[in-house]
Amino acid sequence: MTALSPLVGRLMQALRCLPGVGPRSAQRMAFHLLEKDRKGAQLLVDVLSEALEKVQRCTQCRTLSETPACPICSNSRRDRSLLCIVETPADIQAIEQTADYNGLYFVLMGRLSPLDGIGPREIGLDALTHRLRTESVREVILATNPTLEGEATAHYISELMHQAGIRVTRLAHGIPMGGELEFVDSSTLSHALNGRREM
Amino acid sequence: MTTSERRVQLQAGYVLHHRPYRNTSLILDVFTRDRGRISLVARGARTAKSRWYSLCQPFRPLLLSWSGRADLATLTDLDSTARAWPLTGKLLFSAYYLNELLMRLLQPLDPHPELFQHYVHALDRLVGLPNTGQRPEVVSFGLQSCLRMFEKYLLQEIGYGLILDHDVHSGAPIAAEGRYQYVLEIGPVPGDNDNRDAISMSGSSLLGLARDDLSAPQCLQESKKLMRAALARYLGDKPLYTRALLRQLDYKS
Repeated sequence: MTALSPLVGRLMQALRCLPGVGPRSAQRMAFHLLEKDRKGAQLLVDVLSEALEKVQRCTQCRTLSETPACPICSNSRRDRSLLCIVETPADIQAIEQTADYNGLYFVLMGRLSPLDGIGPREIGLDALTHRLRTESVREVILATNPTLEGEATAHYISELMHQAGIRVTRLAHGIPMGGELEFVDSSTLSHALNGRREM
Repeated sequence: MTTSERRVQLQAGYVLHHRPYRNTSLILDVFTRDRGRISLVARGARTAKSRWYSLCQPFRPLLLSWSGRADLATLTDLDSTARAWPLTGKLLFSAYYLNELLMRLLQPLDPHPELFQHYVHALDRLVGLPNTGQRPEVVSFGLQSCLRMFEKYLLQEIGYGLILDHDVHSGAPIAAEGRYQYVLEIGPVPGDNDNRDAISMSGSSLLGLARDDLSAPQCLQESKKLMRAALARYLGDKPLYTRALLRQLDYKS
């Protein structure tokens, strides 16, 4: 039963490349754009094609950016001697929201995943070592996720940093704000105990 | 497969590897004690509220329940029996090496309860290594011998066990002071001349490997060569990623 015109069908198929969009949502989106919001659809077309054409990786931190150096890397008021290493651009957003960090970033776009064949080259560690050689970085903050793969990545990078004689720190693990001990899982709690602080 | 086998309750196991599946789920490759290696879908494990995600990490003793198709069943319950083995640094990469070997060499759904014990024992040894001695060479020796022993048991369990106690030509016991050529898939034969397809080993190394005593430096070195050649035969052309990473780490430090 193909009651739809081929082009509408193709649109629905194309929308399914988005994460979380199945046939049902794709149909809803297609009908919405074509029936109710043609202006919005035009805007989407324009912005999407412009973004596709212009957005590349930042040459310094590898995050997505339409200029060769992203706004953070080109901001002269940021502390250039601090470098925070994160797994994804979304992690930059999360850290920026804390407003506590004023240094620069380096995005791995992944993490070491020994069993998937994702090694140091795939996460841009060549670019990172090159950057550290050319810039004077005082401290590297490892903000990879507290998963095993994140830990493995952090360890690997810390070996590189020790070799280069740069101070390396790792984000602390602990209990979430507003959390209750009773509901915290045991490994987080044991990390929190090991990392306790003098008051 | 009978109905009773479709539902498995509280099976002891370890996650070897996990990968994202759809938007919020994970596919876990699990090594269980009584059912061997199996792939399970953990539905919704990647959502913020899921209790499973932090449990789905490798090297954490788990009790798993699942149901459904044998080749890709659905995880129905997950609990951890103890905290994860506290592996860090190079030891963590070595533990990943064990996982990669199991992923590459174990056939799905083939139970290997003894190998499971050896796996747990190897993790236990790895975790204990930093305390065995402060000197790096002591730790490095312990690490190497732990990996070699696991490789030996793995080959044995999957049906490619090495012959280490007698010479396959005459059937005579291995003499500690003799020299042997280990011909892969056949066994040790006496002789010293370099055969390209065989690994040259001393009798004492063969005997040391047979009784899990790799304390002699020569034994450790020759065992490494033997294991590497034996594993290469069954691993095929694809390289072991963790081995390459470990080598790069050694080079860096």
